[in-house]
Amino acid sequence: MALCAKFKSPLCQQARRFCGGKISLAFLALFILFILSFFFDLSSGSNDISFVNCVKALFGSGENDAVLIIKSIRLPRVLAAAIVGAGLAASGCVFQGILRNPLAEPFTLGVSGGAAFGASLALLLKLSSVSVFFVPFCSFCGSFISVSAVYILSGQKRFDSNAMILSGVVMSYIFSSAVMLVYSLFSAAQIQAAFIWIMGDFSAVDERLLFAAGAVIIAGTIFLCLSGNVVNAVSLGSEKSKTIGVEAERAVKIIFLTASLIAACAASVCGVIGFIGLMTPHIMRKIIGANHFALIPASALLGASFLPFCDAIARTVFAPSMLPVGVITGIFGGIFFMFLLTRNKKS
Amino acid sequence: MIEIKNLCAGYNKTAVLKDVSLNIAQSSFCAIIGKNGAGKSALLKTLCGLLTPFSGKILINGQNPFSLSKAELSKIIAFMPQNIEFSLPFSVRDFIMFGRYPYMNFFKIPSEKDYEIVKRTMKFTETESFADRNIDELSGGERQRVLIAQTIVQETDFLIFDEPTSHLDIGGQTEIFEILGILNKETGKTVIVAMHDLNAAGEFCDSLILLDGGRVKNAGTPEEVLNYKDIEEVYNTTVIVKTNPISGKPYIIPYKK
Repeated sequence: MALCAKFKSPLCQQARRFCGGKISLAFLALFILFILSFFFDLSSGSNDISFVNCVKALFGSGENDAVLIIKSIRLPRVLAAAIVGAGLAASGCVFQGILRNPLAEPFTLGVSGGAAFGASLALLLKLSSVSVFFVPFCSFCGSFISVSAVYILSGQKRFDSNAMILSGVVMSYIFSSAVMLVYSLFSAAQIQAAFIWIMGDFSAVDERLLFAAGAVIIAGTIFLCLSGNVVNAVSLGSEKSKTIGVEAERAVKIIFLTASLIAACAASVCGVIGFIGLMTPHIMRKIIGANHFALIPASALLGASFLPFCDAIARTVFAPSMLPVGVITGIFGGIFFMFLLTRNKKS
Repeated sequence: MIEIKNLCAGYNKTAVLKDVSLNIAQSSFCAIIGKNGAGKSALLKTLCGLLTPFSGKILINGQNPFSLSKAELSKIIAFMPQNIEFSLPFSVRDFIMFGRYPYMNFFKIPSEKDYEIVKRTMKFTETESFADRNIDELSGGERQRVLIAQTIVQETDFLIFDEPTSHLDIGGQTEIFEILGILNKETGKTVIVAMHDLNAAGEFCDSLILLDGGRVKNAGTPEEVLNYKDIEEVYNTTVIVKTNPISGKPYIIPYKK
């Protein structure tokens, strides 16, 4: 009975309205996809550990070696990939909604430029040898500066979507030029590490960092998932959203800052992983429609499945050398998206 | 009842409305007509609290709309803007539900009552046959009906429409005005429409406000406002005013000099 009463709350009612339709089916499929992808990533790597042993090791039984490898080496990495994937996909989804622009993604509004500049500087000045936290810290500071600049610039235009995109693009250009400037001052050998970082890389994920950044990303993602209906209202444009009682400007501010925080934390953990925030919302929109109440969590789930999958591919294709995961997301995601676009035209 | 006294308002710092004073009676079906740039949209936006007046006074049922919060105001006045973005493929049902947002909590979760009102409104506006289609797949006429449904579900006493029938053919236009007319007659809601088609304004609305250069040129019944002198002066053209033999309302035909 208590359970019944619980299901009467309006949130559950709206959730239930989706049930029975293709949306609940999509969520079920996404969840299965997430589990599969999670264990696929966990089981792939240089040491051959089978899928079954992998599950066993995760729950503490099985060979000691396997338990050690899975729990202390692979699990943090896979968790990082899943969390970052979810966060980037959710923030990409809200950016496309509040900016009413299909090309928007978490890094459109300048986070990536700042993060790349901060991290490059830290790597090239060898600050990483002082402490492992210097690279993520500098990356986060870079993002912070860039996002603040975008916030101040677009604030003067009352957070109009075009003004936000333009100021984001401007900041990205300034920072990417600054990155090029820094690179041109160092030798090719020194640049390598920074270059790989920029493409996105999970090989150096520190557990302590993952704990802090992961908590922030998860909290932010949950917040974004719950704000789906506000994003709906904002996506109607400021005139309509104001006359249905939504303080569009304030909502845009809060959502922009949350999504940027997620992107900045993600970038500080594993570099700039492009495309996932752009593409996952598009894929889910084609499958379950544009209502952000369902779209944001669905995108987050797809992102959480897709990034571990790409990470597994990145580790195994050219093993033992690892590819930057950003390269894989771009190639795989791009091809899959092209397929989706052409398929829709026929029908 | 809406009372406007000596209102000056506009965009940024340029005044578009210059000293406008007028009253709109409760339960009237009021058309605001005038040339492009005469201040029709500015007047509507000021009424909805989207533009802040430079000076003057607005009272809606005796209340100053600018002393109310956006959420409170949106339970009194609903607004359908001229352009709304259709970049995202929402389903018609979801899209109409957005009009219920003033009644929802912070996270905007609809209640059973909200679903009920959406359903009723879809029936009223005859949008239920395409309730599950996406708004970007609709024809122009269907799309306007959906936008009107979204404004009606807000259940406000005052409904304001900014050119709801632009780009529609004569059949689509009549359909929209019949819906608004029934809404006005049966529920007693005050409907205010900005429009360009003088004949439709004369035929469907019971009071007309003619704006010219940000001032009220004339206001009253269709017969009072649609006289050839005012129309020729405002629109800078030559016209003939005739009477519709069936409805008895005035209509205007242009005349080639």
